[in-house]
Amino acid sequence: MPSSNPLPPKEAALFKRILKCYEHKQYKNGLKFAKQILSNPKYAEHGETLAMKGLILNCLAKKDEAYDNVKRGLRNDLKSHVCWHVYGLLQRSDRKYDEAIKCYRNALKWDKENLQILRDLSLLQVQMRDLEGYKETRHQLLLLRPAQRVSWIGFAMALHLVNEFDMAITVLEEYRKTQQPRSFDYEHSEFLLYENQVMREAGLLEKALDHLHQNQDYILDVLVFQESKADILMRLGRWEEAKQVVESLIERNTENWEYLRLLQRCSAAESTESRLRLFDQLCQRFQRAQAPRRMALYLEYDTADLRQRFRDTLNAYLRAGLSRGPPLFASIKSLYSDAWKVAVIEELLVSYLDEVNAGRDPTCPSAPAESTESDDSLLPCTALWVNIILAQHWSAVGRSADAMRHVDAAIEHTPTMVELYVLKAKIYKRGGDPAKAAQWMEEAQSMDTADRFLNSKCTKYLLRCDRVEDACSMASKFTREGVGAMENLNEMQCLWFLSECARAFQRQRRFGDALKKCIEIDRHFSEMVEDQFDFHTYCTRKMTLRSYMHMLRFEDGIRGHRFFVDAAVMAMNIYLELHDHPVADQDGLHDDQQDNLSAAELKKLKSKQRKAARRAQQQEEQRRDTEQSRPEELDPATLERVERPLDEAARWLQPLQDRAASSVDTHLLAFELHWRRGKPLLMLQAAKRVHAIDPQHPRLHEHVVRLASRTFHVADAVATVLKQELHRLMGGHDVVDFDRRFLEDNRHSLPHLLEAMHVSVVHLKTTPPETAADALYAAKLMGQPLHAGIQMMDALHKGTFGVCTTQQMDTLRQQCRLAWPLATAFE
Amino acid sequence: MIALGQVTPHNIKQLKKLNQVVFPVAYNDKFYKDVLEVGELAKLAYYNDIVVGAVCCRVDTSEGRRRLYIMTLGCLAPYRRLTIGTLMLEHVLSICERDGKLDALYLHVQVNNEAALAFYRKFGFEVIETKEQYYKKIEPADAYVLEKNLRPKEE
Repeated sequence: MPSSNPLPPKEAALFKRILKCYEHKQYKNGLKFAKQILSNPKYAEHGETLAMKGLILNCLAKKDEAYDNVKRGLRNDLKSHVCWHVYGLLQRSDRKYDEAIKCYRNALKWDKENLQILRDLSLLQVQMRDLEGYKETRHQLLLLRPAQRVSWIGFAMALHLVNEFDMAITVLEEYRKTQQPRSFDYEHSEFLLYENQVMREAGLLEKALDHLHQNQDYILDVLVFQESKADILMRLGRWEEAKQVVESLIERNTENWEYLRLLQRCSAAESTESRLRLFDQLCQRFQRAQAPRRMALYLEYDTADLRQRFRDTLNAYLRAGLSRGPPLFASIKSLYSDAWKVAVIEELLVSYLDEVNAGRDPTCPSAPAESTESDDSLLPCTALWVNIILAQHWSAVGRSADAMRHVDAAIEHTPTMVELYVLKAKIYKRGGDPAKAAQWMEEAQSMDTADRFLNSKCTKYLLRCDRVEDACSMASKFTREGVGAMENLNEMQCLWFLSECARAFQRQRRFGDALKKCIEIDRHFSEMVEDQFDFHTYCTRKMTLRSYMHMLRFEDGIRGHRFFVDAAVMAMNIYLELHDHPVADQDGLHDDQQDNLSAAELKKLKSKQRKAARRAQQQEEQRRDTEQSRPEELDPATLERVERPLDEAARWLQPLQDRAASSVDTHLLAFELHWRRGKPLLMLQAAKRVHAIDPQHPRLHEHVVRLASRTFHVADAVATVLKQELHRLMGGHDVVDFDRRFLEDNRHSLPHLLEAMHVSVVHLKTTPPETAADALYAAKLMGQPLHAGIQMMDALHKGTFGVCTTQQMDTLRQQCRLAWPLATAFE
Repeated sequence: MIALGQVTPHNIKQLKKLNQVVFPVAYNDKFYKDVLEVGELAKLAYYNDIVVGAVCCRVDTSEGRRRLYIMTLGCLAPYRRLTIGTLMLEHVLSICERDGKLDALYLHVQVNNEAALAFYRKFGFEVIETKEQYYKKIEPADAYVLEKNLRPKEE
């Protein structure tokens, strides 16, 4: 507290009143008192008063003045903890957390035991995940205020966060001993469950189990109690007891897949037969349970006997579920990764259609052939359901024409069912005609305009066919009045909308607009990280400790979320494209027009372009510096003219590598970035990472060959490592052989064929373009993914595989139209 | 399984689709505008939460009497003979009863529509008139007027 310039009693009293005014938000009065002190010539430069004045000005949103005053005050009184504390508060309000922490530490140097400063510091430390620092601060707080329960809890959590489990448990136990819980004391119950969680994470299983039993009467959340108990018993290997607990959990909730998995482990059910027996028992016991029936379908069926059982189980499941309509397909969608299962599904579905056509109803229990029941045993909706699921099935295996037939039959049967038009739109989408897909989705939406789901789906489909304006009008039917849909949805952090908009702009090559959307998505993620700030005090006070821990861990990994990863991948792709093909200048002069200019004019033009690019880069850097405090309006034109796009791309790569390391895209993009920067070892690292995830990935093949075909000017040691590792990646073969084997192994897959051809024509030059083109003409297109077909046509157009005659192109286009009848890309 | 629901500006297109498919006659925009105003006199019939039928009526004060006129009452073909029509007609009858001041309930039926004639006769409707060339664009163009008297007969 000692300031280097202490105030006399009158001024000191005024200063105290300033503090009170600040606390009670009476800002005008506070400023008045400050003025009084400062008008006294002896104290016109009193540090602490100036600092308080600045703080109050900050609350009145006069930021520049605030900073001025505080800095002046600090300069005049470097040894005052008040000044440092105030400066820290200012930094914090501008989200400059690292700076704020430094200020608080400085303040603490002059007043080691100031509770307020310690509390503020602890919040910032946990926000910035300075966990060692957080632990120390919490320790200090406990020593200063042992009577407050928050001190104990806070310290225990800090120890937990740095994995010092034993100490944490000791602290929690000490706290618990002082507690006298009331009946139905929910906070105490949460505390006990948190304590138990720490014990379990520490691996002290026996202790955790005893702890659960001793405190059973006080633990009110029975579900969590049971789940914890099951977890401990299983980890201790006490399978019989665990099984009992898991069975009681299943009785509570038969649909929880996790419980079913636990039950399988407890019963040591390894083989498919034993698992099926388990599921059968459950189905017997719980007649209406869906999960055991569904889970049975997802097992491995290896032998012919088992496969017959699968067929029977699936048959019963489908028949019972047909009358649910569209959701039935959703529940079996995940089976489609297994080719033989798809064949069984197809066979069964077609048989249902035959039954319907013969007048029998697949959903009714099988009646004997000569039934005395009424002859129209066919329920009215059954034909509808069978057509729907067949349409969904054909669409999923890529036979869009067949799918269309069935959905049209369904629409003919019941033209008033809205879901049919949604399904038709989906079939067009998957078949490659986004324009028609949007049209049919609009039709569906118009049939029930009160349905927000339909509205959102329609908005998405409009964005998918690049009708951005129409999409905004559609979305605005449900967004706030008076504000444009784009603005309101951004405010509401509607990430799917931003993501689809970005993609639409990217397709239209409006890179600046796309980047703006990607940055907006990034900002939302930053906001989500910001939002946790208030919970540090709140959760500790309310004792919701388990949820708090869960939230902290969630926030740590938040940028691994699909929406961020998609935005980052998009942004990286755009920056790589901007590096390869920079955007033309404002004057929009193309290469041929530039020929008309004289040399001097050309030079002037080029220097103007360079200046503009440099200005854009500077603005970009400035934007990022001030980003934290003042999020600026993003200008698309500036964004797409950035001078060093590769640096920007690298900035997006960092969080991808941290949080999305299991995604192939991350490393493929890393490779492309390092290729342009000429960093062979980093390229190698990226290729190895893709190899670890998916060794047969088509793009990986192209990357490896590209890397092997280029000579780098590097030190000998580096060259040796490169050669060795590449050799290993290519399975010990040389490049040409590697390519040949890759083609052999994957000759039935069009994407792989394309990459192999590309590699051998462009990089290795072992195949003449005509041979490659012939291979493509002869390729079997049916059942291949649509994007590969489009890629193929593009490559042939560009002349990558030599010049093709018009006739060859037409024949191939015809074949494409047969393989993908709905796609608009081949017209 | 079967239920009746309101016609709203949000779902009116489903009614339009239904009428397009069920009836050989086309109804104009004014028809649908009016339907939104008649409240309980227009209903959608749901089977398993799908719209499969609908009824639209209006109060008619022609010929010096106050009658309820059924403009459309119909159901998609696969869903007939499931008592949906009965449910809709019973709903209309209950409205008439609650109103208390309606003389009769009437409608037009194309002369060759045997199924409709049998249906309405079951509920006490009688053919009171034949309007020749009632329909403009379909054959046969004649229509019966079926009416059910709602006032008890005075002795």
